[in-house]
Amino acid sequence: MTEMLLDTSLPSATLTEPESVQTSSPATTKLATRGLNFHYRQAHALKDITLDIPTQQVTAIIGPSGCGKSTLLRVFNRIYAVYPGQVATGEVLLDGENVLDPAYPLQRLRARVGMVFQKPVPFPMTIFENVAWGIRHHEKLSKADMAVRVEQALRRAALWDEVKDKLGHSALGLSGGQQQRLCIARGVALHPEVLLLDEPTSALDPIATGRIEQLVDELKQDYTIVIVTHNMQQAARISDRTAFMYLGELIEYGATEQIFTQPDKRQTEDYISGRFG
Amino acid sequence: MNTETHEHIVKSYDTELARLTGEIVSMGDFAGMQLTRAMQALATRDGIAAQRVIDNDDTLDAKERQISADVLRLLALRQPFAGDLREVLAALRIAADIERIGDYAASVAKRSIVLNESAPVPLATGLPALATLAGDMLHDVLHAYETRDARAAALVWERDDKLDARYTGLFRELLTYMIEDPHSISACTHLLFIAKHLERIGDHATNIAENIWFAAYGSTLTAKEIQRMRGVSHPTARP
Repeated sequence: MTEMLLDTSLPSATLTEPESVQTSSPATTKLATRGLNFHYRQAHALKDITLDIPTQQVTAIIGPSGCGKSTLLRVFNRIYAVYPGQVATGEVLLDGENVLDPAYPLQRLRARVGMVFQKPVPFPMTIFENVAWGIRHHEKLSKADMAVRVEQALRRAALWDEVKDKLGHSALGLSGGQQQRLCIARGVALHPEVLLLDEPTSALDPIATGRIEQLVDELKQDYTIVIVTHNMQQAARISDRTAFMYLGELIEYGATEQIFTQPDKRQTEDYISGRFG
Repeated sequence: MNTETHEHIVKSYDTELARLTGEIVSMGDFAGMQLTRAMQALATRDGIAAQRVIDNDDTLDAKERQISADVLRLLALRQPFAGDLREVLAALRIAADIERIGDYAASVAKRSIVLNESAPVPLATGLPALATLAGDMLHDVLHAYETRDARAAALVWERDDKLDARYTGLFRELLTYMIEDPHSISACTHLLFIAKHLERIGDHATNIAENIWFAAYGSTLTAKEIQRMRGVSHPTARP
């Protein structure tokens, strides 16, 4: 009896295995870069960037101003090509195809990779035409089919209910948040596969920002989303994976949860926790 | 929790984190003092001193509430990430552990008052030694916390086995007394509970060590981690 008592009173030292950080490897890669370098004039803006962006997930790119995050986004859909003296070397693979190859048709790339900018830029035309305009560039649709497509896009961008009675009104009369969702509608109207968002909420109030973030969460069911943001909390809230860039280099890339709770690199830690680099 | 950590761009953030550390250390020191005084009251059969320990427990509870409020404010206003986030979370947990340690010290004092009502029994020889072991663990783990020394915390963590072994020894010792003299059963039972309180204080010191480790590295402190710590520089060392 005594021995039994003694035994039960002994501390049970249960030693658990060290938990490995979940880095949930992406199922498939939609967009990838291989040894990507970007120069303009004398500047070396992107230095040997290699990363895989998983399909139907949200990937956030964070980093201080001038780190190359917007440049990276601009390389993804070759917007840089309109400026002289800008050179990208290496590969940007969309479903395994190098879109930097001059033989890759720009028209096709722009239809597959949509982009939304920091400041909403509605065209000075009606709400309807803002969405229809891009579609007309790529497809010939009947009036009825076009109406369906525009409605679909506006619904997808969570804007339909707010604008369905004023499709003929000028888009310039919309609020900032509505204009930004209109730009997203314009993007998704072309049924792209990848959506690039360059600080899409930096000019919006918290309510409009919340709507966009909710929208991003819904859109990732159909699209692969890459978002550049200065707002760390936003990256933490809406992305599945986060890439930290500094001075043109990709410093760390991993599951968002890991980056914001237990980053591997000192530089990442210093940046996200608001310290001197 | 890294000694080479850079300062925050916003200086007041560092000030707030430093204040949190200071509050934890001060609360821990207070709990350690409570334990020492409770053991003294027990040894000297000083009921007034014991009552003072019991009354002082409110102070400890107030300190814990203050730390909880500070943590809440830091989370809401600073929205810490990564190491800062782990540190703030660890502070909250450590404060809860210290509060429990204080409760155990107060329980020792309460039982010492009850013991004063019966004839003196010779204190089991192992009891003061057990208290010293537990008190030293608390002292050392607080120092490890203050100096952000996760390795030192790990060494405290390892000492819990020794404390547990001592406790088991004491258990046998008190059992022997009770078998030899059934009149001592009541007093020895109280002493046995006191021994258990001391053993539990060691467990909470161990929890604190685990939280220091977590704040520093984000991983769980295990025997394997300590082995690795001894083998290489550190499992999750950063460049």
